[in-house]
Amino acid sequence: MIDIGANFVSELYKSLGMFIPETVLVVTFVVAIIMDLIFRKYKNIAAFTVLAGFFVTGYTLFACNSSGYAFSQTIAINPFSQFFKFIILLTSIIIVIISFLSKELYAENRKVGEYYSMIAGMTFGMFLICSSTNLILIYLALETMSLSSYVLAGYTKEVKRSSEASLKYVIFGAISSGIMIYGISIIFGLTGSFDLLAINAKIATGNLSIAPLLVSGIMILAGIGYKISAAPFHFWTPDVYEGAPITITAYLSVASKAAGFAVLIRFVLLAFATPISQTQPVWQVFAGIDWKLVLAILSVLTMTLGNLSAIWQTNIKRLLAYSSIAHAGYMLMGLVIMTSAGVLAILVYFFMYMLMNLGAFYIVMLIANKTGSEEMDDYIGIGYRAPILAGCMVVFLLSLTGIPPTAGFIGKLYLFMAVIDARWIWLAVIGVLNSVVSLFYYVKVMRNMFIRGTDKTEEPLQFSRVSIVIALILAGANIYFGLWFEPIVRWVNECVKSLF
Amino acid sequence: MDLFEIIFYFFAAIVLVSALVVVLSKNIMYSAFSLLFTFFGVAGLFVLLNADFVGITQIMVYVGGILVLIIFGVMITTKVTGVDIKEGISGKLQYAGAGIITLLTAIFLSLMFINGKWITGSSTDVHATIHQIGTLLMTKYILAFEAAAILLLIAFIGAALIGRRKA
Repeated sequence: MIDIGANFVSELYKSLGMFIPETVLVVTFVVAIIMDLIFRKYKNIAAFTVLAGFFVTGYTLFACNSSGYAFSQTIAINPFSQFFKFIILLTSIIIVIISFLSKELYAENRKVGEYYSMIAGMTFGMFLICSSTNLILIYLALETMSLSSYVLAGYTKEVKRSSEASLKYVIFGAISSGIMIYGISIIFGLTGSFDLLAINAKIATGNLSIAPLLVSGIMILAGIGYKISAAPFHFWTPDVYEGAPITITAYLSVASKAAGFAVLIRFVLLAFATPISQTQPVWQVFAGIDWKLVLAILSVLTMTLGNLSAIWQTNIKRLLAYSSIAHAGYMLMGLVIMTSAGVLAILVYFFMYMLMNLGAFYIVMLIANKTGSEEMDDYIGIGYRAPILAGCMVVFLLSLTGIPPTAGFIGKLYLFMAVIDARWIWLAVIGVLNSVVSLFYYVKVMRNMFIRGTDKTEEPLQFSRVSIVIALILAGANIYFGLWFEPIVRWVNECVKSLF
Repeated sequence: MDLFEIIFYFFAAIVLVSALVVVLSKNIMYSAFSLLFTFFGVAGLFVLLNADFVGITQIMVYVGGILVLIIFGVMITTKVTGVDIKEGISGKLQYAGAGIITLLTAIFLSLMFINGKWITGSSTDVHATIHQIGTLLMTKYILAFEAAAILLLIAFIGAALIGRRKA
């Protein structure tokens, strides 16, 4: 039992000091709701409040350089969690900005106040996930994120497939979080603790029954795997990604995956593994269960299923959904090897993935605004009707494939280098083969845009200057970070060090 | 067999039998009502294990809230009462498949629980747990407590949003 006294209070003050970014997010969430209620006339008031709140959060996140445990060791603030928080915040800001341009969201004079405040709430949930080291808190934070994303996925509720997506997401999500909490209860029964470090210490004694540990570990991995849409927990992904508003699809595919990876890396490395030594950046799995193999199977299944299913898709949102499953598979490779180079590769990859995936979904949104369609067949001739955007799309697709000089290449380079360094050659080979398969369906989109339908003489599509500038910035970032990736790698290197 | 065990098996039997009725009954109304007994039995088991707070919460939340909701839901959506469960060969196959998987899972879980080394609490008499839970919620788990508040706020807004007529 914790003694409640001056000591506890001063501890709490210290914890609150480290918790400022999250506090700002909660305030933003609440203020956005209130502003939306007071100033009903101004449609976008909540959006601007949320955007302002995000910038303040970003500033406090930047200013917060203390690291350590807070709130009785339930959360850990360190550069590793800061990295994922930055990714999530950046994604949220980009999503809010591109939501302004979304036609489907503003159709039929819809009220959008709750949309933006839900994004703020979801960001809070994801921030919490990134830093929790306590299973109860991890569960609660995952639920906070999930509940907001269920609502957001069904925001355009009069559109049938959007409601359907939301319902499917809720049902699958409920099952997966049920499985996860069952796993948590088993691990609590085994170790008597929810704290990841205490669980680690218990497992390290090697005095635990293997079967329950394996079962509970797999159950928790299932819960997290659902969030990063790793096979075989990916069934919801294509339907939800297709049905949800495109902005939310992009958000789910980047931000909620980032949160999922943050908690996955932390959970696996903190609970099931231990660094061999301070100087050697390699983690060692406790004897008994080969978690590396479990993760390797998960990784291979995820990327192969994602890539092979993507080939047959005729809807571009579904195609990008399967491609995002495949990317989760690539990133899992970095965790399989459990070296700091592997974790570094995941983080670098994620930064690049954010740029390319957001960009691709953004272009899909702009084109759907004008043509009202996301079918591949309607992309025929787009290259001539909207040359600048199609050009940007080519950059994003090349980046997703991993072709130099784009950002995606750097991500894949670090990932495969780390995997080969750790002597998981067969895994690297499967990864490379998968990348080759992925080239096929990405090129299919490019072919539709430029090579097919050259004889069609449809009038060019008109886009506002702002939307083109945003597309160019994202495409430019993809090339910029493909060439000058040093700063990112240096930053990520600092973050990975904090995991030891 | 002492009194503790007799009471345990009594509640366990209630849970098992009523849960079987929930699954096997063809009328969804019967299922909903026997779910009441399942929840009740589980609450009894919780109390028996010195988890008085969880037991009461179980009754208040599940029996008082969720179950009433389920029954109302069933009553209002009349179509659900007579759901056809698949007949014929494919229906039987599905039954058999589901039965086998359930049985295997049950056997596996039972073996796991019987053979595992579990952390067990002291078996001495425990006083009411509410005080301890309250203290923990306000100290170690204060962040989880607050996070749950935000979670509920989001759930409220989400529910209102989905329930609202077209704005």
